[in-house]
Parts: sequence; structure tokens; C-alpha cells
Amino acid sequence: MPEMAIQTQKLTRRFGNLTAVDGVDLQVTAGQFFGFLGPNGAGKSTTIKILTGLLAPTSGNIELLGVDFAANPVEVKRQIGVVPEGMGLFERLTGSEYLKFVGRMYGLDRATTERRSEELLDFMQLADRPRTMIADYSHGMQKKLALAAAVIHGPRILFLDEPFEGVDALAAGALKALLARMTERGTTIFLTSHVLEIVERLCSHVAIIHKGRLVAQGSLEELRAGISGEAGSKTTLEQIFLSIVGQDGTERPQLEELSWLM
Amino acid sequence: MADVTRSVSMFEQIRLVAGLRWRILANSLRKKNNRLDLIGLILTGVFASILVIGLSFAFYAGAYAFLSQGRLEWMALLFWGIFLFWQIFPVFVAGFGANFEFRTLLRFPLSLRAFYIIGLAYGFADFSALASVSWLLAMTAGATVAKPGVLPAMLLIVALFMLLNVTLERLIGSWLERLLARRRTREIFFGLFVLSMISLNFLSPLMQRYGASARPGFLRLLPYFAWFPPSLAGSALAAITRLQPARFLLNSGILVLYLVLFSALLWRRFAAQYRGEELSETEAPARAAGRPITGKDDSPDRLSLLSPPVAAIVRKEFRYLTRNGFAYLTLLMPPLLIMIFSMNFAGRHPTVGGKGVSAEMFFPGMMAYLILILMAPAYNSFAYEGRGIQTYFTAPLRFRDVFLGKNLMLVSVLSVEIALSLAMLTWRVGLPSAHMLVATCAAIIFTIVGQLTIANWSSITFPRKMEFGQMRGQRQSGMAVLVAFGSQILMGGISAVILFTGNWTGNVWLPAEAFVFLAAAAVGGYFASLDALTKLAEKKKELLIEALCR
Repeated sequence: MPEMAIQTQKLTRRFGNLTAVDGVDLQVTAGQFFGFLGPNGAGKSTTIKILTGLLAPTSGNIELLGVDFAANPVEVKRQIGVVPEGMGLFERLTGSEYLKFVGRMYGLDRATTERRSEELLDFMQLADRPRTMIADYSHGMQKKLALAAAVIHGPRILFLDEPFEGVDALAAGALKALLARMTERGTTIFLTSHVLEIVERLCSHVAIIHKGRLVAQGSLEELRAGISGEAGSKTTLEQIFLSIVGQDGTERPQLEELSWLM
Repeated sequence: MADVTRSVSMFEQIRLVAGLRWRILANSLRKKNNRLDLIGLILTGVFASILVIGLSFAFYAGAYAFLSQGRLEWMALLFWGIFLFWQIFPVFVAGFGANFEFRTLLRFPLSLRAFYIIGLAYGFADFSALASVSWLLAMTAGATVAKPGVLPAMLLIVALFMLLNVTLERLIGSWLERLLARRRTREIFFGLFVLSMISLNFLSPLMQRYGASARPGFLRLLPYFAWFPPSLAGSALAAITRLQPARFLLNSGILVLYLVLFSALLWRRFAAQYRGEELSETEAPARAAGRPITGKDDSPDRLSLLSPPVAAIVRKEFRYLTRNGFAYLTLLMPPLLIMIFSMNFAGRHPTVGGKGVSAEMFFPGMMAYLILILMAPAYNSFAYEGRGIQTYFTAPLRFRDVFLGKNLMLVSVLSVEIALSLAMLTWRVGLPSAHMLVATCAAIIFTIVGQLTIANWSSITFPRKMEFGQMRGQRQSGMAVLVAFGSQILMGGISAVILFTGNWTGNVWLPAEAFVFLAAAAVGGYFASLDALTKLAEKKKELLIEALCR
């Protein structure tokens, strides 16, 4: 039986009367490139925050790499890397200082931290401004730095909340290659993105959350088969997504209402 | 295709902008947590109205008195008062982070001429401009009542003076906008503002010592002031009153020249903005030509006694301190303030009161004051973390390490500050007796460590985000301030009572013994509290992240 990287049972999070995450049962096998999709406000970011320890669940269990998160948070956090919503950077440090800070926080020794910091800065094309503070980085540069910080300790699971947002095409290509290589080596990647083409190209497995509930989960092939009724069909992820999310009557805005613009 | 819009008149655009500003203000007051702001705004409005109306009477009376008594040259003083207020007040407001949203109008279809005129109209809507215009009108009324014949000339001079002032104010404002758009200059500006405020405390002792000798030099400079706009306005009015039309025309002509010069400069600034002047300091990403030589740090780790996470946090806190202009400057304040206080209240020649305060009282008093200032930020110690706070919750560490790292840095800073202040005290006032020195040092440990425990609790319970280099909207949480105030009164009260027990009992070493015991208890209590605070931080993490990631 394959090792489970992420497993949740009846994961629920309420904010007052609003149930943002409603009994989610996720199952992600180790080494999967997993895409987590949903419309705006569906509960994606809340789920990723719960899975990374930034938010406590109202109820339900989380196991990462077979370890109960609630019982052993420090042990679990050692194994994971996170690019949270908003990136979580200390903006008054330089990129190099921040990576060294994070490396030491994850318990890497000084020499390893320095070596990896330099390599990561070089890879992310951030090495030419050693004295520039993160506050003065562009959005794309901050995103790349956040990703570098998330991988500096060689995590076994990587959680990425909209990792390619604001990153230029050149850097995005390099990052995708890096992530693909990491999954080949056994790292599990859990990614949220609004760009369905990226998810379709990178991810082997996908889950769709809608109004806090998990409405679909499986490999892309399984989801295609579920929609078209036959395996190997050419249904795109966008069609799958719209088909599943639109099942509850959620309608797309009608262009006819903006006739004065056309 | 979208419709082609009709052109909008300049008056309509000004009206729309005024409406927009009103809507923004009204919407901001609709927020529940801004009710206190509303009360503050009303109180400020009442106070400002009283000030403006009261001073209008003063300007009316001044103009009337100077003209009716024939002290015509003194009119320039009134113009100077208005000129300085109109130009300096907005600079102070800018220091507090005033909104410069005027540039955002550029996205709309405005001509440069319309942009310029709306810019000037904007200038007349400022508080300083409204108050100054009121005072100028009051002056005009006063002058007219004293000598009705000067009204036409007065109206001309006042109109010129108003235009000149509003143009200069907008010019300074647009340059300030350009400067404050950059983080570095914004922080330097803010730092200079704080320093200048502190430096005002030196005025009294300096004037006492050097005032008499500096006076002749100042008087020699006075004639040159005649070429500045307020003096020219005053001279023009005096000339017309004395029926000297040539002098009136000369002074008015120079005022017009000033106006033309400022208008040309302002046109250039607005034209630069109109063309899309780039104020941002964000650097575009670029591929490095080669990896720069960063110089590998092979030196032994000076913080090797600490665990890696604690050492990393101490380093990060140190870097944050050195990059926070305001926090950095507050470190200069304690020795400076001790110097000011020692000039005023202690030493051989105190400027306040005849006899100086003894070192026996001055030393513990100054140390209490120093702790009061430097411990205050500890009650909201995550204020500057911003989104970085998430790192503490995603990294594999217990929150006690975060407290330890932050507290260790604060204690180090306090130690340096206390050492510097002690050196300053020794130089200015002298050291107290041995028993008082030991008692005060032990009291310092007791109050600092005791407060740290409470401050850590306050930091995770009442967090409030703060921005570097900004004053506007930089308020601590009201509860955090109350907790800080309460615990400082408690600690200060306990310390004062214990210090005086030495005098009451006749045992001069008793306070020292009591403080050593209390300091040991405070240190024990501090370490015992860390685990409980770690659990509390876990419970409060959502509140903390929400408050700091806004």
C-alpha cells in the first residue's frame, strides 16, 4: 500500500455561522503532485492554512506522513514546507538574510544554510541584489523568495498557495521544472491555483472544493472518466471544473447584461 | 464599442473630487472601531474652530492697532505669522503620513491645465489654507476699519499673498510627496522629525547660556528678511498707507515675480507628475551577470550558546532594530533625555530650581524613567512582524523560542542603554552610594523581567500591526497600553515603597536584599511562564495572524 502523505478525516472549520471547510476527507499519496481547486471563497486557503498549522480546525483529524498533526506539530512541521497566502516574509530582511533565518529555524547547520541559501538565490535569480530588502522586492521576486524559503530544508511535503501568481514566464518555467523534479524524487506537492492550465499540466491528481465541501477527488483520468463516461477522453480540466462546480446551479454571469459594452 | 464620453467641465471635476473626499471620510467613520476617531475628529474640529476664530480676532485687532497707531512696518509681522503657519503646518501633517491621493486623479481624462488648477484648488481645501485665509480676511477687515482708503490695495496684496502661499505650499507638498514616496527618505524624514522634537528640550538651557551672545548676530540678519514675501506684503501696505505709489508698485511687483517663479516651478512639478513620474522604488527583476562575491562568513557563531531558532530570532530582531529608523532613534533618546534632565534638575548648575536633585534620588528616578520608555514596545512585541508572523507558526519550533529570542534581544538593548545612561549620569551627576546602586540594579532586573512576563502575554493577546517609518494610524491597542500602564505603575510602586523602607527602617541594605529576592523570583516566574504562554500563543494564533497580516 502506498504511503499516505496527507490524510484528513471530517476536517471542519467554522467561523461563527459560516462553515468554511465542511467535513473534508483528503487523501494524498506520497510523491503526488496534487492540485487543490475551487472557486473564490470555496475554502482552499482555509484548508491549506489548517494543513500547515496556521489555523486550528474546529473538528476533524489531520495526519501528515502518518503522524498526527495535533499531537506532534513540531515533528510534522519539520517535514513540510509552506508558501502561505501573503507569503509570510519578514520584509525588513534581505533575501539572503531571510533564507538563512529560515534555514536555522528548521534546524539546518550554519554551513548548510549558507550554501543552500546562495544556491537558491542563484536559481531564483535573486542573487544580484544582496543588499536589497524584501520590502523593496517586486511581487514576483517575493514569491520566488517565499518558494526558496519553503524548500531550503528539503521538505517531504510542499504546500503552495498560488505559487505562480505574479511570477514571470521565465521564472515560472524554471520553478515548474524544479517542482516536477522534486515530485520525481518523492516530494509531495499540494498546490492551489486559479490557473487551471497550470494545474492540468503539472498535477497528476486533483481535488475540487466548493462551498467548503470536497466535491471531487482523484487522478485527472478518473475525473475525466467521471464527466465524459469514458477513460482517455480529451475533456479539459476547465470543463471538468465547470461541470462539477456548476452542478449545484451556480451560473456563469450572462454577457447579454453588458450589451452596451459590445 | 463603448460610448465616447463627453468632456467634463473643470468645475464639475472639482466638485466630483470634493464629493469623493467627503465620501471617503464618511465611509471611514461608518466602521465601528472608528467611533473613537469620530469623537476625536469632532473634538479636534471644535478646538480648531475656536483656535481659528480666536486668532482671527487677534489678526483683526493687530491690523487695526498697527494701522491706526501708525506702526505700519509691524504689519509684516502678521504676514510672517500667516506665511509660516501656511507653509510649515502641512509639512508636519505630511510627517504624520498625510494622504497624497491627488496623483490618482491622473487616471482620468484631465488636461495638464485642469490638473494644475485642481491641484491649486486642492491646496485651498487644506486646514492651514482655510485658517490662513480666515486670518487674512480678518486682517483686511481690521485694516479697512482703521483706514478705509487702503481696502483696494489691501485686497490686491492679500489676493497676491494667498495665491503665492497656496502655490508655494503645493510646490513644497509635491516635492515632499516625491521624497516620502521612498521608504528610506520617509524614514529619515520621520527620524529627523522626532529628533527635532527632542532637540526642542535643549532650547531653554541653550538660550539661557548663549542667548545674549547670539542676539547681535540675529539682529544683523534681520534686514535680509525684507526680501521675503511676508515682509514685501507688509512693506507694500505700509507704502500705500504713506501714499508712496512707487514703493507700493515695487513691492507688489516683486511679489508678482515670486508668484510667477513659484508657479513656473509648480507647473514643472505637476507636468512631471502628469507625464507619469515614477516614484516607486521597487526594483525590476533582472538576471544576475554573475554571482556577487558575498564573502562567506566562516567566523565562529557568536550565538552558539543559544539553540539555532533562538539565535536566528535574536539576529533577525537585531536586523529589524537597525532597519527601523524610529526604534533606532529611540535608543538615542534615553542618554539624551538624561542629559537634558541632568541640565534642568541636577548637577552643579540646574536651570530649574535653585538646588539640584541628589544622585541618590536622581539615579533610581532616571532608571525608572528609562525602563518606562524602553519597555513600552515590549507590550506589543510582534507589531513590526507583518506577514512574517506566519513563519513562526509554520516552522518547527515551540513559541517559547520566539519569546526567548525577542526578550533576549530586548534585554541586550536595555543593558547597553542602561550602561550608556549610567555613564552619562556618572559624568553629569555622579554615582549614588553603593547600597543605592546595588538596590537600583536589582530593582532594574526585577522590573524588567517581571514586566517581560506580562508584556509577552499582552503581545499575543492584544496584537496591533505597526508600520515602519509611519506615524499616522500607528496606535497601540488600547488594552495593551492599559496593561503596560498598569504593570509599570505596579512595578514602580512596589520598587518605590521598597526603596524607601531603607530610610524608614534605618537599614540601608534592606532594599537591596529585598530587590535581589524579588529579582530571583521574577526570573523564576519568567521561565515558568514560557510554557503557558506557548500554549496561549497556539490558541491565539489566528488572532495574531489576522491582526498582523492585514
